[in-house]
Amino acid sequence: MLNRSASPARLRERLLESEQLMETTGCYDGITELTLRSQDPLKFETLHTKLRAFCVSAREMARRISASPGVREVGEMVVAIYTPEGDAIALSNGIMVHVHTMSRFIKWMIRNGYEDNPGIREGDIFANNDAFIGTVQVPDVMDVVPIFYEGTLVGWAGAVCHELEAGGITPGGDVCLAQERFTEGLFVCAEKVGENDELRRDYVIRCERNLRMPIYWVLDEKAKVASCIDMRESVKALIDEIGLDYWMKVSKEFIEEGRRGQLARTRHLTVPGKYRGHTFYGHVTEGKPGFQPLGDPNWLYNIPVEMEVSTDGKITLDFDGTQPWGYHSMNCTPAGMDGGMFVTLTQHMNFEGLVNDGAWMATELKLPHGTWTNPDNEMVATATSWALLLPAYGVFQRLLSRGFLARGYVEEVFVGQVNSPMIEMGGKSQYGTQFGMAHFECAAAGSGALAIKDGLDTAYVGWNPESDMGNIEIWEQTMPMVYIGRSIVPNSGGAGKYRGGCSFISTWVVNKTDHLRLVTSEHSSRVFDNGGMCGGYPAPTCQKHRAVRGSNINELAEKREPLAHAPGTDPHVSDLERRFEGEHVTLEGPYITAPHKAGDIFTHSYNGGGGYGDVLERDPVKTAWDVENGFLTQEAAESVFGIILSEDDDGMPVADLEATRTRRAEMRKTRLRKAIPVEEWIASERKRVEAADFAPEVRKMYASAMKLSPRFASDFRDFWKLDPKFTLPAE
Amino acid sequence: MTSYSKEVVHDLVSGRLPWPQTRRIMSAYKDDDRFFKYIAVMQDRVTWDDRILLPISDHLFICQSADERVTKCECGHSFGDYRRNWKLKAAINVRNTEEALSEIYPNSDIPDPQWMEIREFICPECGTLHEVEAAAPGYPIVHDFEPDLEGFYRDWLKQPLPQEK
Repeated sequence: MLNRSASPARLRERLLESEQLMETTGCYDGITELTLRSQDPLKFETLHTKLRAFCVSAREMARRISASPGVREVGEMVVAIYTPEGDAIALSNGIMVHVHTMSRFIKWMIRNGYEDNPGIREGDIFANNDAFIGTVQVPDVMDVVPIFYEGTLVGWAGAVCHELEAGGITPGGDVCLAQERFTEGLFVCAEKVGENDELRRDYVIRCERNLRMPIYWVLDEKAKVASCIDMRESVKALIDEIGLDYWMKVSKEFIEEGRRGQLARTRHLTVPGKYRGHTFYGHVTEGKPGFQPLGDPNWLYNIPVEMEVSTDGKITLDFDGTQPWGYHSMNCTPAGMDGGMFVTLTQHMNFEGLVNDGAWMATELKLPHGTWTNPDNEMVATATSWALLLPAYGVFQRLLSRGFLARGYVEEVFVGQVNSPMIEMGGKSQYGTQFGMAHFECAAAGSGALAIKDGLDTAYVGWNPESDMGNIEIWEQTMPMVYIGRSIVPNSGGAGKYRGGCSFISTWVVNKTDHLRLVTSEHSSRVFDNGGMCGGYPAPTCQKHRAVRGSNINELAEKREPLAHAPGTDPHVSDLERRFEGEHVTLEGPYITAPHKAGDIFTHSYNGGGGYGDVLERDPVKTAWDVENGFLTQEAAESVFGIILSEDDDGMPVADLEATRTRRAEMRKTRLRKAIPVEEWIASERKRVEAADFAPEVRKMYASAMKLSPRFASDFRDFWKLDPKFTLPAE
Repeated sequence: MTSYSKEVVHDLVSGRLPWPQTRRIMSAYKDDDRFFKYIAVMQDRVTWDDRILLPISDHLFICQSADERVTKCECGHSFGDYRRNWKLKAAINVRNTEEALSEIYPNSDIPDPQWMEIREFICPECGTLHEVEAAAPGYPIVHDFEPDLEGFYRDWLKQPLPQEK
């Protein structure tokens, strides 16, 4: 039974036929009528809910098999059920980014003749983590198994886990130092890794010999296979109940219904038209060890995004005008860009659970060839593609929100996500063994504000809607560092009528090791990589790393003297410098240095979200609460928000409403006095543009964007009224 | 069909609706008549008579003003034809020095002013801060939103677009 080959109908022809039908009818697989839904809507809905339940239950079971705190604690996993052609019918919660990336993986195997060699048979297990086939980055390892029913291929079950260690040039999963594909780690390129429901021993051996911490990867593989088998058996039992013909029809109707549902939601929640926004990412690696001289060490990326909503409800996102791919780890593939789109849609328009690939089919991405969104070279690294994906889709969230705001659905307006820089590590563990892992407490940054309330503090990231930082005690079991502080960063939310959610910072002392390698990634250290909305400011996202090598923390502790538990907010002297002796280090951008040892102190902070609305409209009472609870400093409340606080009898801050009114009236006057007409500013700024009087990185950014995009070049020249042949010199 | 009173929409928009009720609205199917109640709430909020056709920011509206459609601040200041970028008729304050950036970002986490500046777009009449752009020096000002007003009223609202105030 287990060696039975695929169905006689050639899968590749079926896939092409399905795509042709979509092309000619505009409907998924040519389904112009939802016949089964009309015949028995209750049965239809019940079945879809059952499929969703199969997925949620399989994922929860798998999380308990995994050894990785990333999967167990933080939920870095998703599972889904697909049609034979690889279109998602139903999915679980979790990292929903990967629902369409897995779809690409299945279709890639079909298009590349896998039916003939290596063959698609019952009991087979296929794995992939190659972003050019279908994933986002090397640590996102996916497994799919075919579902056969009485000899016919009736679908696929798939699962993805984000691995904490990928065996790259630096430890962890998001390998910051990778400048080409060849240093990203262990690649599994659409490979048959198991037969007869069992992982091949040679595959497991390859994992064990090429990873720093194979237990995470291998047990996650087992968890994924178990969840796939669980879903497969559930689907087969369901087919026993409803019949094969009904299954083959209904599974496709679910997708067409999903497509129509997405179009209807867009028409219901937004306004047709063109929406525009942009963000930037500035990265500095100059002088840092390990980076090969393949390109510029420091660079600035612009990410312009234009969204068009047509009157039929289709959303098109266009990245024309953005930067070329580079010799760094932050490039993305179309699969990754799909993932960003899908996970955003599931959070903002399709959050009730009954969502599938139909939603993705109601959208279109325009990804200019040769840019970081769609590299024309498959050797490029994508190990930390989230660094650019998150800011890019943060813009998408703001553009969608402009539509929600115009339509009156203010409760859905969301200023957007930010990067949440990761920390990866390896070396010798506190148990004396080799280890490697990524720390996933980054899954709890501050969110952007809403149009009716502040953003979530330390509770949101875009890539995992479940957003959970995990418990300190669990993380301490897995790494040779113990926490001496995990605290809110005051003033880290973007200012506004509603402020962005605040971020947090962790401070550790290295413990019981003489060799700990720490590497961080996804830092836009020189520019803000997000925005505010409707007058709100971007969140500050240019945090620096601080470390103390050879600190005297143990002596201080023995003497019971006070310790510093965070760097504090003084821009000139940190609390670490005030309290600890040792070699103090402050570093911008990715942290990559010589190994640490016991007694060293290290801090790593995450990002807050952007603000919404005019800062001078913020509620003074709420602000007093913010100061009392450490989300804002009293100085910032007064200087940024114009809110004067006094103290009550218990020494707690209270808003002085009268003094606040006076202060704000003065600030508004100052604002008007300092401002100049935009037309006047354009006239004076034009001279600077004409003279190309910019930092070299800025000049290079414009030159690259103009070279790749005639539209960007023409818009740039038109805006500044420049000569049609104007270009910027770049070294 | 889900529907809320104008009072509830008013409280929701102003951020005063109690959280449990707001949460229920977020979780429920969306109300079909929201746009019309929203416009009515906004129309009550302004002191002028021009008919609001579409809100486009927290205090900016596209309105029918006599026989023109213009972008208007809540204070009544007009930024002219709604099809042109209202920002070009605004007042601007650019923060492109460490000192000016530190006024908004008091910690040590400010961008390099050689790489990024903060642009504040302000109503020249009432001083409301309508939008903030964070951009590289020399980056053209963005036209945030060009709504298809005709298509919206005709195909989605199924209503004629008001021609006069």
